[in-house]
Amino acid sequence: MDEVSFVVAEREFVAIVGPSGCGKTTLLRMAAGLDFPTGGAVRVGDRQIDGPGSDRAVVFQQFALFPWKTVADNIAFGLKCRGTAESARQEIVSHYVALMGLQGYERAFPHQLSGGMQQRVAIARSYALEPSVLLMDEPFGALDAQTRVGMQEELVRLSRINPRTVLFITHSVEEAVYLADRVVVMTRRPGRIREIVEVTPVRRREGWDACERIEDVMDQESFVHLRTHIWKLLREQHGASAH
Amino acid sequence: MAGSPRSPGRGAPRARVQRSAVAAGLVVALLAAWYLTTGPLELVNSLQFPSPDDAYEALRQLTSPGYAGATLARHIADSLALVGLGFVAATLTGIPLGILMGSSRLAEAYINPVFQLIRPIAPIAWIPLTILWFGLGTAAKVFVVWLAAFSPAAINAFTGVRNVDPVLIAAARVHGASARQVLSQVVIPASLPTIFTGLRVSLQACWMVLVAAELVGSFAGLGHIMIIATRDLNSGMIFVAMACVALLGVALSVALAWVERWAVPWRR
Repeated sequence: MDEVSFVVAEREFVAIVGPSGCGKTTLLRMAAGLDFPTGGAVRVGDRQIDGPGSDRAVVFQQFALFPWKTVADNIAFGLKCRGTAESARQEIVSHYVALMGLQGYERAFPHQLSGGMQQRVAIARSYALEPSVLLMDEPFGALDAQTRVGMQEELVRLSRINPRTVLFITHSVEEAVYLADRVVVMTRRPGRIREIVEVTPVRRREGWDACERIEDVMDQESFVHLRTHIWKLLREQHGASAH
Repeated sequence: MAGSPRSPGRGAPRARVQRSAVAAGLVVALLAAWYLTTGPLELVNSLQFPSPDDAYEALRQLTSPGYAGATLARHIADSLALVGLGFVAATLTGIPLGILMGSSRLAEAYINPVFQLIRPIAPIAWIPLTILWFGLGTAAKVFVVWLAAFSPAAINAFTGVRNVDPVLIAAARVHGASARQVLSQVVIPASLPTIFTGLRVSLQACWMVLVAAELVGSFAGLGHIMIIATRDLNSGMIFVAMACVALLGVALSVALAWVERWAVPWRR
């Protein structure tokens, strides 16, 4: 990775797309404090990141739920580490259980749930900490197509109720355009930023938010236009590397 | 609650019934073969292998007047105590050491060479030395049992800790867990299934060396019965002692499986 520099504003949803091997996951792990850059720095606010912390919770592609903890205990995990009082913890947990549609499953273990449900639990676990940045590493990559669409709609709904600063890694261009305020398009070897595509102005102008379903948004000419634009950016470099 | 956890590997109820029928049939066939070869057919001399009658006679003698200096209950209690003490000691020492080695490369570097050096020595090979150290009493035998049970417990705890899914550790850290919380909330629970695998092996090792240790020198216990019975040419008595070891071994393994199910309820 080389000369990658961008800023995520507060309450902004930024998606990073790029071919595999461009370093987008490494980028997210650096933001999480799990990996460190050889040069340069990652900052949250004014503070330089020197390790993982609950102000930058991560939703992993593999869900990464604790199999020995119930749904409620998984969601409460970060709060417990933080030392949140029992009563406050229960309140927050039941809030997110309701928000993610997990009522009745509080005492279930992760292996008893479907993939989509497990990822809801993982999202709730990260949201419950109210992190200053929420990091999502291809969170829907392991789900089947239908579940994936459902979760994308869910995330849009969640962001409207509870807007947070999100850094979202994906290799799906549609997903990025549908979810994000801005899309960072990366190139491979060296991993560089090709372009940062602004989605919010188009979304506002064309009234995407009025659409209830993802397919209605994807039908809009403005959506198709943006998607094609990003695809071309990605294909350009693909062609270049094939030579 | 999303339905109670199923226990796969057991299959449909019908297949299960079929399998227990086969198991029961096999046991009955073995008993019949035993009775026929040692009894009516006279294929095996009762000095070499007892008939069911001999075994029953030996069992009766063991329970009421007693044999080899004590009654059966006393012998069993003696052996169980040795296994219990050795196993508990191995659990309390082996698991923490394995976890330490698994979570600290430095600890591994210090301990592992010693461990690798001692491990090829069969636990029963320590018996002569332990007799010199502790005499023929309980301490020597507990020590040997502990020695045998220690390595499987430690090695499996070590392997369990080393094989914890790194993404689970990352998940704990990014949700604010401290190093200590990572250990207690993630590493130890994640290694529990492997730790229990080690304990099962440990428990078996306990029984194996126990009888060997008692054969060498003891005043009571199931191994002691065997050594006295060999002198008396009493094959029935040897058989009863062996059967007791088998049954007790199975019973303790079942008990351990119960503890495991209680401690690892999330296991599919």
